[in-house]
Amino acid sequence: MTTTMAGPRSNRGRRSTWLWRVVAVAFCAVMVFPVYWMVNSSFEPNSQITSLTPSFFPAHFTFHNFVDAVDRPWFWDDARNSLVIVVTAVVLVLVVAFLAAAAVARFRLWGAKAFLVLVLVVQMVPTAALVIPLFLILNRAKLTDTYAGLVLTYVTLTLPFTIWMLRGFVKAVPIDLEEAAMVDGASRMGAFRRILFPLVLPGVISTGVFSFITAWNDFLYVNVIMTQNYHQTLPVWLFSFSTNTGTDYGGLMAGCVLFSLPVVVFFLFVQRRIVTGLTAGAVKG
Amino acid sequence: MAAPTVPEVASGRAKRAVVPVEPYRRRSPNWRRALRRQLLPFLLVLPALVLVGGVLGYPIGQLVATSFQQLGLFQLIGHHVLWNGLANYRQLFSDGQFYSSLEQTAVFVLATVGLTMAIGTGVALLMGRVGKVLRTVISLTMLLVWAMPSSAASIVWTWLFQAQWGVVNYVLVSLGLHSFGSHDWFASQISAYGIVTAMIVWQAIPFIALSVYAALTLVPNELYEAAAVDGANARTIFRQVTFPIIRPVFFLLTVLSIIWDGNVFNQVWYLTGGRAQVLNVMPLGVWQYIEAFATQQYGMGAAIAIVTVLILLVVTGYYIRTMVRTGEVSA
Repeated sequence: MTTTMAGPRSNRGRRSTWLWRVVAVAFCAVMVFPVYWMVNSSFEPNSQITSLTPSFFPAHFTFHNFVDAVDRPWFWDDARNSLVIVVTAVVLVLVVAFLAAAAVARFRLWGAKAFLVLVLVVQMVPTAALVIPLFLILNRAKLTDTYAGLVLTYVTLTLPFTIWMLRGFVKAVPIDLEEAAMVDGASRMGAFRRILFPLVLPGVISTGVFSFITAWNDFLYVNVIMTQNYHQTLPVWLFSFSTNTGTDYGGLMAGCVLFSLPVVVFFLFVQRRIVTGLTAGAVKG
Repeated sequence: MAAPTVPEVASGRAKRAVVPVEPYRRRSPNWRRALRRQLLPFLLVLPALVLVGGVLGYPIGQLVATSFQQLGLFQLIGHHVLWNGLANYRQLFSDGQFYSSLEQTAVFVLATVGLTMAIGTGVALLMGRVGKVLRTVISLTMLLVWAMPSSAASIVWTWLFQAQWGVVNYVLVSLGLHSFGSHDWFASQISAYGIVTAMIVWQAIPFIALSVYAALTLVPNELYEAAAVDGANARTIFRQVTFPIIRPVFFLLTVLSIIWDGNVFNQVWYLTGGRAQVLNVMPLGVWQYIEAFATQQYGMGAAIAIVTVLILLVVTGYYIRTMVRTGEVSA
C-alpha cells in the first residue's frame, strides 16, 4: 500500500505515484461521462437536445423535464411501492443470507457443500425462463398482486448470490477473533453478532447494495406479478416514456435521473462503510 | 469447513481419548452432542433452504418438466399436458441457431468477463496506491456508475450512441471522422455487440473493483511490510501475498460474472430495441426468450434454458469445485 520508498528509489516512486494519479483521473472521467451526460441532458429543453451541436453543460437550464416526468401517471405510487418492497426484501435477504453464510463457513455442516453448489446452480437458470412458473406458484398461494409476493420473489432471486458473496467475506475474516471471544465466555451466536458481524459489515453492505439494485431494477417480474397500476414499481413508469410516436429524450433522461437518485443516495449513505477497511483495522488492533 | 474451534476440540476427541467412560453411557451423549452440533448450523441454514427450495424449487422443476413437453399457447390455455420426450432437445441440437448462439455467447462471455475482471482488479489495486482524495474520487465515480440501474443505463447508452443527436457521433465528427455523421451503431452484429460489451463492462467494473478492494483491505499491512523487508517487488507481492488472500472473492466474482454474462438478456434487448433477431445478436439468453415468448414455444424455450444451465455448469464446474474445496482448507 505504501508507495514512497526510502533512499535512491524514492525518485522513481514519486514519478510512478504521479503516473497512477493521472491514470486514476483519466479513468474516472471516462467512467463518469455517461452519468454526466444523462444529468446534462435532463436539464436541457428538448429543442436544445435535438440540435446538431450538443452543449457539454446545460446552457439553457430548465426543470421542465422533471416537472413533466413527475406529472406522469402513477409516479408517486410507483415510487412508494418500489421503496417499500425493495427495502423490505433487502433487509430480509441479508438476515437470511448472513445466517446461512455463517453456518456454512463456520461449522462442519453435513451437506453444506451440496447446498452451496445447489444454490449456485439455481443462479444459473435464466430469470426470464422462471417468470411463468413463479407466477403460477404465487398465484396458487394467493400472493400475486401483493407486496408480499413481490418481496418474496426478490428475496429468493437475490438469495443465492447473497449467500455466496457473504460466505466469501466471512471466510476472509480469521476465525481466531471469534474463538478468543468464546474463550472469554461468549456464546456462538454472541460471537457471530458481536465479533463476526461488525467485521464483515463492509461485505454485508456491498452485498446488500447489490441486492438492492437488482430488485430496484426489475421490470420482468413486477410486470407479471403486479396487475394493478397502483401496485407497480418505478421501472414500469420509466418504460412508459417511449411511445410509438417517438421518444421524449429530455423527459426520459429526467426519468432516468429520478429513478437512479434513490440508489445514489443509498450508496452515498453507506459509501464510507463500503470503502473503509473496517476489518483491516480490527485485525491489526 | 472451518478448522475446529478451541471448545470443540476440548470437549470432543481430545477429552474422550483420556477419560475412560462406560461404553453404553458414552454413546448416548456423543450421539446427542453430534446432533446438537448439527442443530445450530442447520437452523441457521433452514430459512435459506426453505426459500430456495420452496419458492424456486417448484418453478425450476416445472421448467425441467416443460422442456420435455410440447407447450404452446394452445396447450397453455387449455391446460393440456403433451409430453414429447426429447423432441425439444433434438430440435435444439439440429438447429443451426444453437451453434451460432453458443459461439456468440462464448466469445461474448470471454470478452466481458476478461475485461471486467482485469479492469476491476486494476482499479482496486489503484485505489490502494493513490492518496485519500483520489481514492474518494474513484469510489464516488464507482458508486455513481454502479448506482445507475441497468434499465436506466441502457436508455442512457442508447442516447449516447443515438445516430442523429448522439454525443458520440458528434465528438467523432468533431475529431475529423466525418463518416460518423448519423452513423447507426446498431446496424451490424459486430458493432451492436461492441456497444453491448462496452456497456456491460462499464456497468460491472464498480462492483468488481469495490468487492476486490474490500477483500484487499482484509490483507494485514504487516504482510506487505514483511514482504517489502524481504525485498519482494510489486508483482511478487501481488502473487505471493495479495492474491492468495483475495482468491476466494476473486473466484466467486469470476464465476458470478460468467453466469450473469452467459445469461445476458436485458441489456441486449434494450440496446438493440428488439432488433436482436434481425441483427443476429442472439446469445443463448436472448434466443431462449425469443423462442419462448416471441414464437410461444415454451417447451423449446425451456430446453434452451436447461442446456444453458448445463453449459454454464460445465464451464464453471472447475472453479466451483476449487472454491468449495479451498473454502474447506483455509479459514
